[in-house]
Amino acid sequence: MADVTESKITDEHRAMLGQKSDPIEVVPRTADAQRMRDLLGDSDPRWADGTGVAPPYILAMLEPRLPPELSPQVLSSGILTQTEWKFSQPIKLEEPLQAVTQLIDVRDRLGGRYGYSVLVMFQTSYLTGDGEEAAASLRTITQFDRPQS
Amino acid sequence: MSQLYFEDIAPDDELEPQDQLPTEDKAVEFFGRDNPTNPAFGDAEAGRRMGFGGALVPGLLKLSWITNYVGNWAGPEANLRSVRVAFRRPDIAGKPLTIAGRVVDKRQEDGCNIVELEVVTLAEDQPTVRGNVQVEVPSRS
Repeated sequence: MADVTESKITDEHRAMLGQKSDPIEVVPRTADAQRMRDLLGDSDPRWADGTGVAPPYILAMLEPRLPPELSPQVLSSGILTQTEWKFSQPIKLEEPLQAVTQLIDVRDRLGGRYGYSVLVMFQTSYLTGDGEEAAASLRTITQFDRPQS
Repeated sequence: MSQLYFEDIAPDDELEPQDQLPTEDKAVEFFGRDNPTNPAFGDAEAGRRMGFGGALVPGLLKLSWITNYVGNWAGPEANLRSVRVAFRRPDIAGKPLTIAGRVVDKRQEDGCNIVELEVVTLAEDQPTVRGNVQVEVPSRS
């Protein structure tokens, strides 16, 4: 893999920082919650049938695709390397949330298993009808160039 | 499900490890059979074409296992605040995983009882996911 001594992140890429996507409505579905609870063997009474509350891992079903207009493509390939979920209040089943995604960081990474790579971090906020944040997810994509075969 | 209280928890406490066997079927069922997802999650051949040794275990399934693991440990009166994971190595369906955890800190903050944990998934004794979890637990008083 060729040594890279200069950043490949351009001003055009950096201009995407802080921009927010249009809100996307996502709905935590009862059927998804039931299926996931059953699969995980989760018997927690807080989100049992009839409570109207979603288990926290319902976020796995809500995460919207990363918006291309906010996704700098610095290197040719990418893989999800970190995820964080934050919870501010219980997520209610069947109550729509507005998902707003923004690019919050893009930085070079030298060394590591991919050689020169670029870390691209997105945050998605899940907002209730009152505009309060119920939860947030942070996703870090590590971009790299596949070695020539 | 039993309940842990702030007074019962100490740094270096270890959680009882939990074994999981990820399969292609579980990966597909996790996202829902009608829900299109990465073909490498349900098809070993697709995973091999992508350079892995078989079908990939979805990172979000592992994150959900970790979330549930800590939730079970802390009990129904605890509140999960955050869970952050780094995917270190791909996991392949059919290979058993062990989830393990350890308390690394406890503190009172703005009137809340906060416990921090490190969590890891192990495949063949090698870490594949490393995580940090923050949970708020009740007090006996």
